[in-house]
Amino acid sequence: MIELKNVSFAYEPANATSGAVHGVNIHLRRGDFCALLGSNGAGKSTVTKLMRGLLRPTDGSVIFDGQDLKTVRTSTLAARIGYLFQNPDRQICKNTIREELRFSLMSAKVDEASHEELIEAQLKEFGFNGDEETATMSRGERQRAALSSALVSRPELLLLDEPTTGLDYLECKQIMECISEQNKNGVTVAMVCHDMELVLDYAKSCVVIDAGRVCGAGTPQEVFYNSELLEKASLLPPQLIELANRFELGEKISSAEDFAALIMERRRSG
Amino acid sequence: MKGLLTYIPGSTLLHRLDPRTKLFISLLLCVGVFASSNLIYLAAVLLLDLLIGRAGNVFRQTFSIFCKLLRVMLFLFVLQLLFIQRGDTVVPLLFGLRITNVGIKTALLVVMRLLAATLPLCILLMVTKLDDLANSLVVRYHIPYKYAFALTTAIRFVPEFSKEMQEVIEAQTTRGVELDTRNIFRKMALIIPLCVPLLISSVRKIDGTAMAAELRGFNRRSWKNMTSSFRFRARDIITLVLAAGVAVVGIIL
Repeated sequence: MIELKNVSFAYEPANATSGAVHGVNIHLRRGDFCALLGSNGAGKSTVTKLMRGLLRPTDGSVIFDGQDLKTVRTSTLAARIGYLFQNPDRQICKNTIREELRFSLMSAKVDEASHEELIEAQLKEFGFNGDEETATMSRGERQRAALSSALVSRPELLLLDEPTTGLDYLECKQIMECISEQNKNGVTVAMVCHDMELVLDYAKSCVVIDAGRVCGAGTPQEVFYNSELLEKASLLPPQLIELANRFELGEKISSAEDFAALIMERRRSG
Repeated sequence: MKGLLTYIPGSTLLHRLDPRTKLFISLLLCVGVFASSNLIYLAAVLLLDLLIGRAGNVFRQTFSIFCKLLRVMLFLFVLQLLFIQRGDTVVPLLFGLRITNVGIKTALLVVMRLLAATLPLCILLMVTKLDDLANSLVVRYHIPYKYAFALTTAIRFVPEFSKEMQEVIEAQTTRGVELDTRNIFRKMALIIPLCVPLLISSVRKIDGTAMAAELRGFNRRSWKNMTSSFRFRARDIITLVLAAGVAVVGIIL
């Protein structure tokens, strides 16, 4: 689906280190749900911007569906790659949700005949009233509105830059359930996230980035049980895994149910 | 111009001058370039601006601003050439338009004046702490603190808004808005409606800043509470005299 081949990028001035990436190799397959992990300034957002073509690599290439993104204008891929920013206010520019969705479809040059159908389907899926004013919505609702407008053109790849920052538990869960649903329907997802609990719950794979370099990759379990890797990237494992480690369970659990079952089994066996 | 109009610490003579001196030098150079219609004088002031940037150890940033402004000025230059149709024809154009000698001179004058007047103000911002500039005006000239604060805050927000606008452009480009087009007119037409997100975030930011300032007793502050002392030294007087000299030459020419 999308592949970063030995990609390097540096922001100006050339001596700025924050956000720069060096020789990054990442390959996402169709239907993948990949979490990009790392501390602030490690280069995670830069990687997502490179994947979307917002930044052009100084070295290496980004291949999306066989096309080198260097040769494609960023705006022309809007219908195929959705992007959700951390701050929904950067994206929302219309008064109502319906106008916002229509603006997305028009900008992405989706066939006008299908606009109404797509908008109604999206409003229904997200449970929005199309005439609701975006300015009066809560932060979580605005984030969902931005997500719905990123998804309205039915993209194949969804890039998310810290989509749950500043949201409460319920809002966070709503956003993640929606993203997970899209992933189940075949949308490939790459998500920058600092919330390791969410990563454990939803991601299928992880890429750990430290100082602009990929320093580890694997399933969430493989990454979160690799204490050396976590320490190197200044990451804390989810509490569940921390607890499993303290109990020295010796098995790679991935959910509260697994944890409870294992404890019960140990109790029974004395 | 992200990061270009922010204070760059240093210990050069420019950094050590009184903030008011630097402000007056900028204003005197502005007076000089707007009073003069001599292209050689304007070129000399432009060169002087770059040298001042070098003396303040901010040459790279000054030159970068110069290059960015040059792009805008090029647009202005072409507009002037096309709109001023007085004088002798130098190059005939299509549809009865022509480039005239008066057009070339006026366009050059406008562009060089704007460049020569803008650069000192940009250098001022790079070698002066905004708080020092505001405090010196409040302490020495008893300008109400409210206005000085509003001015410095507005200047401080310029790079921030510029960064935010860049983020808005990126966000809208990902949605398919053709802001990555090379056609400047199309880009301008597309960008205007997108100012809404920037406007909303600006209002929110201003509201937040005002509230935070009031909570910290902003309204009770006046020049009487200021402890900083600002006074002119010999170096300030010498540089001011030199700048006044440059302005006088501009007025005479």
